[in-house]
Amino acid sequence: MSLLSEVLTGGIRGGTSIEYAALGESVSERAGVVNLGTEGSMLMGALAAYAVASRSGHPWLGVLGAAIAGGLLALVHAYFVLSRKANQLATGLVVLFLGLGLTSLFGVDYVQALAPTFRPIALPGLSRIPFLGGIAFKQDPLVYMSYVTVPVMWWFIFRSRWGVLLRAAGERSEVLTTHGHRVIPIQYISVVVGGMFAGIGGAHLSIAYTKSWFENMTQGRGFVAVAVVMFAARQPFKVAAGAYLFGAALALSPALQARGYGINQFALDAIPYVVTILVLVALGKRRSGEIPEGLSKVFEAPTLG
Amino acid sequence: MTAIVEGLPAPQREREKFDVREWFDKLSGIARIAVSLIGALIIFGVIMRLKGANPLTAYHDMLSSTFKSWDSMGDILVRATPIILAALAVSVPARAGLINVGGEGQLLMGGVAGMGTSLALGTRLPGTVTLVLMILAAALAGAAWAALAAVLRQFMGISESVTTLLLNYVALDIMFFLIYDRWKDRSGSGQPTSRALPVGQRLPLLFGRVHEGILLAVGAAVIIGLIFAFTSWGFRLRVVGGNAEAARRSGLKVGALLISAMAVGGALAGIGGLTQLAGAEFKLRSGFVAGYGYIGFLASWLGRHRPGYVVLSALLLSTIVIGGDSLQIDSQLPAASVNVLMAVTLLMVFGFGRKKAVSA
Repeated sequence: MSLLSEVLTGGIRGGTSIEYAALGESVSERAGVVNLGTEGSMLMGALAAYAVASRSGHPWLGVLGAAIAGGLLALVHAYFVLSRKANQLATGLVVLFLGLGLTSLFGVDYVQALAPTFRPIALPGLSRIPFLGGIAFKQDPLVYMSYVTVPVMWWFIFRSRWGVLLRAAGERSEVLTTHGHRVIPIQYISVVVGGMFAGIGGAHLSIAYTKSWFENMTQGRGFVAVAVVMFAARQPFKVAAGAYLFGAALALSPALQARGYGINQFALDAIPYVVTILVLVALGKRRSGEIPEGLSKVFEAPTLG
Repeated sequence: MTAIVEGLPAPQREREKFDVREWFDKLSGIARIAVSLIGALIIFGVIMRLKGANPLTAYHDMLSSTFKSWDSMGDILVRATPIILAALAVSVPARAGLINVGGEGQLLMGGVAGMGTSLALGTRLPGTVTLVLMILAAALAGAAWAALAAVLRQFMGISESVTTLLLNYVALDIMFFLIYDRWKDRSGSGQPTSRALPVGQRLPLLFGRVHEGILLAVGAAVIIGLIFAFTSWGFRLRVVGGNAEAARRSGLKVGALLISAMAVGGALAGIGGLTQLAGAEFKLRSGFVAGYGYIGFLASWLGRHRPGYVVLSALLLSTIVIGGDSLQIDSQLPAASVNVLMAVTLLMVFGFGRKKAVSA
């Protein structure tokens, strides 16, 4: 395999977990709530998927468990931010700590355990397309599900009635109230749905990508997802592209090492994070006008004790 | 029964109802934190029970191992030192309305700069002189790392909360790069580390294992408190934090203020990393600052960014963190499980700790 196709294949494989988490965070942010606890929801999802798959023998049940676990953690965030009016960034970080603690406590039993995992399946026909087929259509089922999720999510946000309510909750909540809709329930649902997607992202990490569970295995992917959402301006197709970019940067390190380049591994490990920052820098100015107003309020004037 | 209750006049019914929230609101700040902590202990106890551990034994072990001797209580101060400085690194920018989640990376860069200074100078200069230069280098490195995020915010409009987070991972990889390569201690076995600091370049001990870093940390808190209260810079930060647009119109250099606030915060965290290097660890290794940057962030929010309360919050959180060691040794639970206790405590305080929550 050429370096390019290897990096691109790895980009999709490694980026899918971030893609799901970032799609979820897009929904949450569209409704006006930033959730740094996305990282925690991913961890909860990763463990729940691995544990449920290991116990039941069915990876798809694992995915279901991951969505529930990720959503439950996001519910904690939603309660404290929406009902108790706590600061969303601080609460998000606390929720991450909660997820980190819970998964390390209940995850010990699964560090050595075996679980059924997703394997790459070559799609008949599509996988024969030269170059593209090998990259995009010899992947695992969760990757294929993400191909469907992105356009559905786009339709949902920009073309459905629900999408209008969602965007209004984040942009013009007073208008929504005037029209007799209740803002808080919409925000609750959005945050929880966001957490469920982050959980599925975690599931991809544990039962498709690394095929294992270990403590703190997300290593900042949830934070990267939040960054991707920011530079992708909460638009599903751009979110997917951003996630794959991070995945490709991630895939560069093993691909170069396998070819015997004597570059220090940790210099390569930093590349995905540096790339993410650089993309933010490159797109920074242009995007600032597109932030939902509910979010910019929070970012510019955080409440101080 | 229901008929009787319904028959009562409304005000009387309200008086009879005991509202936990109302009762909680009447408590003083410290009492609310204490009640939150007890609530958190109960919740964490239930979770430990679910895991099959005995919470009473676990708590007993946590308390007895933490408070069994002067030395073990001194460990609270040793842990709290970098946490206090990392927390102040959040409080200063927060005053100007900035969110610094990069304490972890700034601690790491401080440690790296300190180690680099020591390696570059060797033992040519007297130990104390080298140590002072190390502290300066650490402060500069931390300041630069933090200011980077503030500059990106000011000129590119990128949220500093995200860049500071991402820079943490870059800082970690920089440290790994150095200790796995350039700075690797060739004589060491097992996990790669840098070589140990010469004895003369370490922070002197006060008693037991407690080093002078705690004086730096508490001193920094006092100085920041004074700066907040008495200097025009401290006042301007608050103006910018309150309303940046109003500050701009009244002629304040908002950009310079924001970047300086972040740089001062970063310098404090950089010094925090150095105290960890020169006072506790003596070498760079994986797990060198072990999440203290994030814990500092939470300590700052717990203390509402006021230096005095921030120090107390840092002491409380470092006590909880030390409890995690006991969980691992005595109860065979992973040390990271103590994060649950910390998180639940903070959620209780954030969610219920204010006089009156804004009604939704």
